[in-house]
Amino acid sequence: MTLTEPATADPLADPDAGAAAASPAPSADSATSTPDSAAQVLAQRIVTSDGAAVGRLFVAVSLLWGLFAAVLAALVAFGRSDAVEPAELFSGLNAYFRMWTLYRMSLLLLVLLPLLLGVAMVVVPRQVGASNLAFPRAALASFWSWLIGSVIMVVSVLAGGGWGALDGVTRNEGDAMALTLLGTAVVIVALLMGAVSLATTIIALRGPDVRLLDVPPFAWSMLVASAAWLFTLPIAVANIVVIYADLRGRPAVAFGRAEGPDIWLQLDWLLEQPAVYLMAVPLLGVVAEVVRGVLGAGVGRPEVPAVIVGLFGLLAVGGWSQDYFTAPQDLRDGLVYVAFGLAAVVPVAALAGFVGLQVAQSRRSVPQLLDLRIIGAAAALALLAAATLAGALRVVEPFDLLESAATWAVFHGVAAAALLGAFVALVHWSDELFGAPVSQRAAAASVALVGAGGAALLLSDLLSGFIADEPDLMALALDGKVFLNVVNFVGAGLLLAGVAVATAGVAQATRAGTGTAEASAVAQPAAEQIAAP
Amino acid sequence: MRTAALPAPVVTRPRTVAVGSLLATGAAFMAFAGLVAIYVQQRQQARATGQEWFPEGSVELGPAGMMMMTLALSVVTVQWAVQAARNEDRPHGFVALAVTLLFGAAVVNQFWFVYSDTAFAIDAGTAQLLFYAVTGSFVAMLVAGSAMLTVTTIRALMGSSGRDLAQGVQAAAVYWHMCVFCYFIVWYVVFINK
Repeated sequence: MTLTEPATADPLADPDAGAAAASPAPSADSATSTPDSAAQVLAQRIVTSDGAAVGRLFVAVSLLWGLFAAVLAALVAFGRSDAVEPAELFSGLNAYFRMWTLYRMSLLLLVLLPLLLGVAMVVVPRQVGASNLAFPRAALASFWSWLIGSVIMVVSVLAGGGWGALDGVTRNEGDAMALTLLGTAVVIVALLMGAVSLATTIIALRGPDVRLLDVPPFAWSMLVASAAWLFTLPIAVANIVVIYADLRGRPAVAFGRAEGPDIWLQLDWLLEQPAVYLMAVPLLGVVAEVVRGVLGAGVGRPEVPAVIVGLFGLLAVGGWSQDYFTAPQDLRDGLVYVAFGLAAVVPVAALAGFVGLQVAQSRRSVPQLLDLRIIGAAAALALLAAATLAGALRVVEPFDLLESAATWAVFHGVAAAALLGAFVALVHWSDELFGAPVSQRAAAASVALVGAGGAALLLSDLLSGFIADEPDLMALALDGKVFLNVVNFVGAGLLLAGVAVATAGVAQATRAGTGTAEASAVAQPAAEQIAAP
Repeated sequence: MRTAALPAPVVTRPRTVAVGSLLATGAAFMAFAGLVAIYVQQRQQARATGQEWFPEGSVELGPAGMMMMTLALSVVTVQWAVQAARNEDRPHGFVALAVTLLFGAAVVNQFWFVYSDTAFAIDAGTAQLLFYAVTGSFVAMLVAGSAMLTVTTIRALMGSSGRDLAQGVQAAAVYWHMCVFCYFIVWYVVFINK
């Protein structure tokens, strides 16, 4: 920590942070001096022990990764259309498969989980009455290791790595795949470190009079989400360890066969039911929080959303659905898998009912309810409800959707809902996050675009699943289904536009917030001089 | 919209390190449990199809039992280190740390012997691959635990506020106990049941 950093650390959260907190406050000169201010700002970012600053780093970088993932989504959807052959789009079917998998993994590990984690690192400590995150240095380490891991993951995939290939690999590609696995593991471990820091803040650094069930819904949902991540994501690390050991100890015997999609099939459970709902647990908290914030506190029993979020978190714990714990077909035909798939609808419907009741009881007029945050939260909840319904259909055996594109209908619905929820959270807490509100126009446009894009992706994938004659996870055998492929491409394009608009809105708010802070820093000493006798 | 910020607590809860270490240890245990589950599932599948898992007599129980005994003793010595750190008792603390690290090093050494003794090639089959993946991960976890214990104990005993820093030793001890439990699973699943 530098001496110019705001000293807000909790002394008991981390001894070093406590020492830093006791250090002198920044002088006005140091805050406004120009020659080395850029270096100071950079140094602050690198070594900060302020959890909120780490959260903002997560938000900024995950939004940039969001742009990258959305571009990949559009390209992959374009490859699915009749306009171009997938193999021609990326110079070979292997390359298309790499981008197809990279898009999905990026959306989960580089965009949604870190974005929600970043928002929570800023908001949750304030909500529970803590002055800083627990283990702020660990949180900072989690950000930098996540960033390094994500760069390794993406660059290695672009260099020919990835999670397997469809037809044959060279020696160099095998090495790049090992690097991809390493990057994936680093990213997961880094996110888990952040989750530990956040969960510890909620459990151990709450204000003295704040009971666990009294914490606001978003803080509660992040606690539930962190617990679900801690129970689920390490299983993926175990998978990666086995795959990596096999891949490097050539010739691969069972797990690390790179010349087929085997590696991907060992990890895709992260993106399927029930683990796919891990992304959406914080969304329920955002919805409950936004509705409470807009309608005013005291409407409805506070325990209800806590129970609903807890149930949804329980249904999202998905490590058990990893293929190697039982033969895949036995698993997916099994009662537990079907029950989890069907039950996921219940908490989402319950929250929708609870929120509807709150709105009705609030006796607000329709124009009063037309708040952008309420609309965004409602759209996110509707998308999540549609995704869980698609998930329920997917596990019903007569429909035969398990190995079809309907898998990605659930994924796209949940991911778009979580993205929408994250955007609503960025708008709702924009003062804490950026120091200035996000432009209403940018917020409205991003909500509309992501909502429409998510709905288009969900519907096109679900219908593709219904009309497919054979297992076809990549939906490449749908040549001739021009309409669905066009809808899919349009959906991906809308998603890209929505993420771009949201990123621009956040950048604008950050600039405005920085300008306000600098103006205050300049004004403060001047005011002190005037006030001095 | 600005969150209604609650006032910062006057007295913070003293469980921060304990809670954080429990959560992190739980996540590490889940990863190891995932590995063991893959091992058990693959072995069951191999046996169901009549395949041999390990070649007869290739995995000896003797060294594995000795490692279990060694780690069981380390459970006592690591708690000894925790107690010494709490009491800021440097002589006992350093002796306890040294003995625990010695036990850890002995287990790593025993694993070296086991690897030489079995002489498995990692690409000889699924059983051999998983043998190395499971036991190698355990060794890595044990080495990480030793490093954590060393750093936290030395910080606690050499620092000026040892009582606060003793929480770090306790956190490392929780992780160490988890490692010992993981080895108990390895001992039963890999070495006894083979």
